[in-house]
Amino acid sequence: MKTTLQRAAAAVIFTLGCNSTPAPGAPAPAPVTPTVDAGAVTPRSTEITPTPVTAIPGHELIPQDRSPKEPPRLMPAETLIRSYIALFGGLSPQALQVRLRGATSDNLFDTWGDYLSALGVPDYSVDIPRAPQTNALMLAAFERIGVALCERAVQNDLRGAVALGDRVLFRFELPADARALTDEEFATRFDLLHRRVLGYPAALAPDSRAPRFRALYQGAVARHADAGTRSFNGPEAGWASVCEGLVRHPEFHLY
Amino acid sequence: MRWIHAMSAAALVVGASAVARPAEASPTREQYRLFRALSIDLQGRIPLPDEIAAFERPGFDLDAWIDQRLQGPAYAERLRRVYLDALRLEVGPMFNFVSNPLVLRRARLVDPDGNPAYVYYRRGQRRDRVESDLDFCLSPDETGVTLTSNGQVSGTARPIDRAVWEARTVEVRPWWLYRDYRSASPAQRITAGDGSAMVLSPVANLLVNADNITPTTTVRVCREEAQTPARGAVYLSGRLTALPRTEPYPGGRVTAPPTDSAYARAHAGEMVSCTSGTGVSLSDDCGCGVGLERCMPGNSLGNDPAAFNLPDNVPLGADQPLDSRTQTQGDWSRFWWAQEAVHFLDDLFARDRDVRGLLNDRGTMVNGATAQFYRSFAGSTCCGNGTQFNYQEPAALFDPARVPADLTPHDIATWRRVDDRGPQAAGLLTTPIFLAKYGTRRARAHIVYNAFLCRQFVAENIALTPSTEPNLMVRSGCAACHATLEPLSAYFTRVSESGWTFLPVAAFPVLNPACATRGGNSPNGGCTSFYDPAFGSATQGMLRGAYGSTEHADEGPAGLARAVVDTPEFASCVAQNVSESFLGRSLTAEDQGLQETLVTALRTNGFRMRPLVRALVRADAYRNANNLASGAWREGSTP
Repeated sequence: MKTTLQRAAAAVIFTLGCNSTPAPGAPAPAPVTPTVDAGAVTPRSTEITPTPVTAIPGHELIPQDRSPKEPPRLMPAETLIRSYIALFGGLSPQALQVRLRGATSDNLFDTWGDYLSALGVPDYSVDIPRAPQTNALMLAAFERIGVALCERAVQNDLRGAVALGDRVLFRFELPADARALTDEEFATRFDLLHRRVLGYPAALAPDSRAPRFRALYQGAVARHADAGTRSFNGPEAGWASVCEGLVRHPEFHLY
Repeated sequence: MRWIHAMSAAALVVGASAVARPAEASPTREQYRLFRALSIDLQGRIPLPDEIAAFERPGFDLDAWIDQRLQGPAYAERLRRVYLDALRLEVGPMFNFVSNPLVLRRARLVDPDGNPAYVYYRRGQRRDRVESDLDFCLSPDETGVTLTSNGQVSGTARPIDRAVWEARTVEVRPWWLYRDYRSASPAQRITAGDGSAMVLSPVANLLVNADNITPTTTVRVCREEAQTPARGAVYLSGRLTALPRTEPYPGGRVTAPPTDSAYARAHAGEMVSCTSGTGVSLSDDCGCGVGLERCMPGNSLGNDPAAFNLPDNVPLGADQPLDSRTQTQGDWSRFWWAQEAVHFLDDLFARDRDVRGLLNDRGTMVNGATAQFYRSFAGSTCCGNGTQFNYQEPAALFDPARVPADLTPHDIATWRRVDDRGPQAAGLLTTPIFLAKYGTRRARAHIVYNAFLCRQFVAENIALTPSTEPNLMVRSGCAACHATLEPLSAYFTRVSESGWTFLPVAAFPVLNPACATRGGNSPNGGCTSFYDPAFGSATQGMLRGAYGSTEHADEGPAGLARAVVDTPEFASCVAQNVSESFLGRSLTAEDQGLQETLVTALRTNGFRMRPLVRALVRADAYRNANNLASGAWREGSTP
């Protein structure tokens, strides 16, 4: 994070650089010899008179944005875990851990304790501070817990016979005849997930978002077209992929 | 610069209505983003679908929504994180809290019927038999085994004579097994618990007998440990000199029987407190109290034996643990010390108390576990060589008489405020977790300087030269920092390092003629425990750590609290800590207007945090926070 002083220094250096660049064809300036007084070198004064930007010709009417520009904030790890729990229906952390680990030995999820450090939870007892920025391990942990959340949610919501109101994440129906979704049908369902995970309608997202997620969905559906009973079928894999894309989206982790 | 501040101030005013939208208009993406940010900061999670639906309805009043969230526990937790991130108030096993007067370890023996049996005892217990004084109550000749001080067992256990067994041990229904342990006939045996930190949950093998099958209903404990008086008489054994090593020790013991100290000889028969370490070391009348409540159970002879199941990780709070495992008796204390700080902060922010209470509040929050600690455990580290200064009754930072008497160790989910811990209490500064985390006077002063004044000690660019000058306030290369640090650390002169023992003025005057250096030599060992020979003179000794300021030494931590909260930097540091946490970045010169506004909100509202946070989340700096888009401000109200 740059301080104002650093910014000002950078601006001064930039300005000096501009001013000291000789014009093409102009004679090179004579080297400056420091003044010498009784054998001691007296440094030149480096004082520069500040000039407001508006005094520069052509800048009189250009507004200045002086608001600090910093990267988006990382959601606190505690908030991430609590949000994650809320996405899965508000179970207790230990109950959710049991659900995420599941009955099968697919190693989707280990224990919360295995991820805390990577997620940036501070450990005050050994003076490990909160991680204020993402790192490669943290992204891998986001990926891992995101996959676990979405796969288990698909198993619970779409594969199990769960009433719509009791579903944890996918609160929509799939076509009974397993036909492909139309763009409109996909958009409606995608909007529900988008609102749930990112907190705003998909229509307000960048224009490319819905088509890209649609392509992601269709790709997963196509790859799972002939999946066996042990694997997700096409629509299940498609929605799992969409969910995974959303829960590890930068807009989910940053705010 | 002045122009910048004016612009920022104007932005603050205008920003208050930046999120307002026409009654029928749908929220913009920026407004959704802001709502989500507010939910993250004030609710501790992303918004739920019904909350988003409410936000989208025409006429949604965001200001009212914010005010409502400022009353909730998630808001208090958010602010608590600001200060816990700064203070890091947890300690790990490196802070070894294994106090012999507290820990009941257990030996596996063979009872008179030939069955395995546990007998609980504590190291350092005074007994009236030469065979067992300061040792296990049954001698090696009686049990067949030798228990060494480091928990090793040698020999083969044999059935103990029934008369000896009955004479030297008794059965007790202890506090960790019975909720009504204080009653004449305890009957409410606890269940195993769930390890959630909301229910007392002894480790599994504390709940079964030595046969590993039979549920434990009583524990057998050495007779001396089972004693219940609050005070005991100083014991005089009559042994003036140590037995020679060549002579077999009585009863087959492997250590020499203790001899009487000079203090014991001078004060034989005087009454001492059984809750102080000194009392336990002096009196054979001192036991673990009713239901052994002055002691912690241990499931082995180890140095820090396992006692209870507790969570390792509680980032969402002790009521929502992420795990649970067997923890040692030391872990038990460390866990609850940290939880005291958590509840202290939560209470302060949830009730919107004066934030200066972080440093000067004489109250705190206690539950069953911390109540037990303050009532029965805290004094166990007192008083060591203090007996030389006639100091054997702890002058506690938290007066045990003010601990709610009805809180039992089982009430670990019940937190209750104690409004006044005593005259020496000073906010977080006198909590065990602060004093354990920051063991030295200088460490304590430094973290206060850093977290509550937002200042840091930065060394001069100067070479350190060899020096014998003990006064760091004048020593070349040290003075730049220590001229400030030493007077601050002097406030902690009267709180022992790595502990919470308070050294009262009456027993420990700052300048003490009894601890004068003698002919250039250090004073006796008792003096050097408390008085610093480097700053003593031929006429008087100086209390260790007081040389930075003798006045500060007598004012104590409460004096530091007064000094800090009276500085103008305190309020601006509060504003800085909170706003940097909410904005996710350091404040810059451009934020000076914001900071001044927040300081005003804090000062004009009696140093309560809600007005500050309300002003912060309504400021443009928060609403436009960290939006890197080049056109971000152009969508809002500025410039």
